[in-house]
Amino acid sequence: MKNILHLLTVVLLLSFYGCQKIDNWEEPGARIYGNIIDKYTGTNLLMDQNDWQIRIIDRTWEQNNPGAVAQFQSLAVMRDGVYNNSKLFPGTYDMLPYDGPFWPVDTVKGVILEKKTQQDFMVTPYLQLSNFKATLNGTNLTLECNVKAPVVSSLPNIYEVKGFLSLTTFCGNSNYINIAEYNNLRKSINKPWADEVGATDNKNYSLGPFPVKSGYTYYVRMGANVNALSRRYNYTEILKVVVP
Amino acid sequence: MKIKLIILSLIFGFTVSSCHELELEPKGILGEPELFGTAFGVQKYFVQSYMNLPIEDFIYYANKGYMPGNNNSWQAYKNSLASMSGEIYGWNVNIFEAGVGYWPYDDIRIINIFINNFPNYKSKYDDATYNSLMGEARFLRAFFYQGMAKRYGGVPIITEVQDPVTTSAEDLQIPRASEYDTWKFIYEDLKFAMENMSAKSTAGRANKYVAAALMSRSMLYAGRIAKYTQYLGFESESAMQGGFVGIDPSKANEFFQYAYDAGLCIENGPYALYVKNYPDKATNFANLFLDKTSAETIFSKGYDGLIFGHCYDALMSPNPDFSSFVGAEGGPVLQHMQLYDFPALTDEQGKPVRFAKRSDIKNEMEPRLLGTCYFDGDELRGKKFDIQRGIYVEFEGTAADAQSGSNAASINSTANRKLGKKGDKYNGVLITGNHGMFENKGGENNAFMGAFIRKYIDVNLPTEMVRVNKSTTSWIVFRLGEIYLNTAEAAYELGKRSEAFDYVEAIRERAGCKIIRPDIDQATSSNYGYPIEASLQFIRDERGRELYCENHYWWDLKTWRITDQVLNNRYLRALACYYIFDEGKYIYLDEVNRDNRTKTAPKRSAYERIPQGEINKNPKLLPQNPLY
Repeated sequence: MKNILHLLTVVLLLSFYGCQKIDNWEEPGARIYGNIIDKYTGTNLLMDQNDWQIRIIDRTWEQNNPGAVAQFQSLAVMRDGVYNNSKLFPGTYDMLPYDGPFWPVDTVKGVILEKKTQQDFMVTPYLQLSNFKATLNGTNLTLECNVKAPVVSSLPNIYEVKGFLSLTTFCGNSNYINIAEYNNLRKSINKPWADEVGATDNKNYSLGPFPVKSGYTYYVRMGANVNALSRRYNYTEILKVVVP
Repeated sequence: MKIKLIILSLIFGFTVSSCHELELEPKGILGEPELFGTAFGVQKYFVQSYMNLPIEDFIYYANKGYMPGNNNSWQAYKNSLASMSGEIYGWNVNIFEAGVGYWPYDDIRIINIFINNFPNYKSKYDDATYNSLMGEARFLRAFFYQGMAKRYGGVPIITEVQDPVTTSAEDLQIPRASEYDTWKFIYEDLKFAMENMSAKSTAGRANKYVAAALMSRSMLYAGRIAKYTQYLGFESESAMQGGFVGIDPSKANEFFQYAYDAGLCIENGPYALYVKNYPDKATNFANLFLDKTSAETIFSKGYDGLIFGHCYDALMSPNPDFSSFVGAEGGPVLQHMQLYDFPALTDEQGKPVRFAKRSDIKNEMEPRLLGTCYFDGDELRGKKFDIQRGIYVEFEGTAADAQSGSNAASINSTANRKLGKKGDKYNGVLITGNHGMFENKGGENNAFMGAFIRKYIDVNLPTEMVRVNKSTTSWIVFRLGEIYLNTAEAAYELGKRSEAFDYVEAIRERAGCKIIRPDIDQATSSNYGYPIEASLQFIRDERGRELYCENHYWWDLKTWRITDQVLNNRYLRALACYYIFDEGKYIYLDEVNRDNRTKTAPKRSAYERIPQGEINKNPKLLPQNPLY
């Protein structure tokens, strides 16, 4: 009996020992956040959630481990043009907004991540979409907007203008009603800006009519893209359309 | 006691003597002298390499890669490249643009051992045999490298056998070569092979013309990559800036010239377009893929159905009438069928054309299409294909009124359009055919697309033998038809327009097309966002017709740099036959596939991702390919 008791004590002690905390790394507690700002309008760039990412490379880790080659991690960007990540290791990072709907930017080198670091990025979008209107005529929805290219010189082909309809507030290329009736209403262009628009820097587009169902609430927006990298869209804001 | 001593000394004696000469050469293992010392030994040595060649055939998985041998399970053609790239429609195979991690440096090492050590055995051969075997090794190495180059662009070029024991890790890590150098390396290997290999070989083994065929295809790819990568918009990418992907456009003609020259070399060989079954051009085209003695075949990969078989027949025709296994995993997509001479489905007013019989639609079709697909009324294994989508009680309006088959169209109300299961009837008339297109039922025995694939279907296999790994059709890796089209495209890119169309004419003559030699049209066609001449577009489309379902399409799109342009929200369409009840006639409608499925390839599909596991071992492989 006494032996069993001793044995149990030993087992108990051993199992507690297993809980001992040995972690050679500090908790990743550094936070980086900021905005993606349209250089021309000064406002945040509108986008689809997690449509493209900011690539960050931990240079401190490379310094501490000679010979190692650090590879990038990706930070998601939210649809209002804000990003925020609070679980990173402190250190010196290089940061690059990558494959978004804007002219390529240079890597921002040597960003020091501490408890709380803000890093905004100024970008020049390929296209700016404004004056967005959604007109409902019975159960037919028409979308209109103005597409402007802030920089026309050596702009890749303008590829398409597309309407996105969604039944939730999340609306964009990652979440929309993906049916042939709607998709066929997009305007496929794939031409140089000069051939499509001419000498000016903007053009109005109207898409539709999209047949919608009465009694439903739609969240709609328009997007346009150019034939660059992954052809991410530049978007309008999202409008709510209640079909009576 | 004495006896004990004797026994002990005996035991001692035996044990000690058994320690004698432990370093004997094992007699049951074939070593280098046996393998490299005779031509048969070399043949045996090469078998493992031939087995693993990157050939996308009946057993290639678009989402798993090459699975050589007989352990590839049965689903290969369910997950085929044709299904992934939207040539056929059935099982849903997503675009697998990041690739399958193909990284065959083990296979390349096996060849490099041969190339490095074979000169030690030169005295055992006459010059011709020695050179031919050396050439064969270079051909095999080039084959593996082109399997990587068409995926990744530039890759590390390794020609020596690395010794991991004596070499430092630093030296084992070889950086990527530029894409230009990689294709040039392939060119050098194949040039050597073409100059040194013999002109004849047994079936399934390479000769100088097979090397030339690989040269023709590879160099055409390289030429396209050089000329059209500029339209991808990858200039800001570090892989592009370093030359690891993409080639300077000024180098395009160099590669087109290599492809063109290789094509001319093959024309001196013993090959001819297959015309054995004339005058029936449809059957002739179908038999080209079945006849193992065809003079058109340059190189093929064989299956005997005993040790190695494949399941193509079991997976491409419906069960139970034509297959004793699961049935058809894919049918031809209408967009591809309409590339051929194809009857108009609507008249001038946009109304569907009325046919007295369902099979009347075949009257206007190109024989090559009839040799490529099975339509209603065609016979296979003693039974006839029977394909109908449904019944319209009446059909007054235009084809557009049917809105691509949408249930929302008023003409498609359940009162007017009758769809059903197998055997369902409307007023005593069968609603569907025996082989589809049924409503709400899985795809395997249901002609989703309104037709089935005929290419490569073995008509001589009885239905009860159409089972797993029982198909014995050879996969034709290279055939003269492809080489003609390679030469045509290369010639056209080099400005030899009329000569290019000589080759097109030969192909279209055999195909039985209405217009055998179209006029050269230099007007600009810009389907793809970059300008090419309309006649070059025609040559590209000719590849789509001639090489349909031969697993060329995906690589063609990739090297033309247009995967993301063609496969951009592409609705795969079906040919749907309806009986009009009040007229007693048939119509064919162009419908969206019933699952509303689209194909979209992202722009990064121009290249595959360098496998992350390899980068972890060798960071010198960085930079990663664009957009990964």
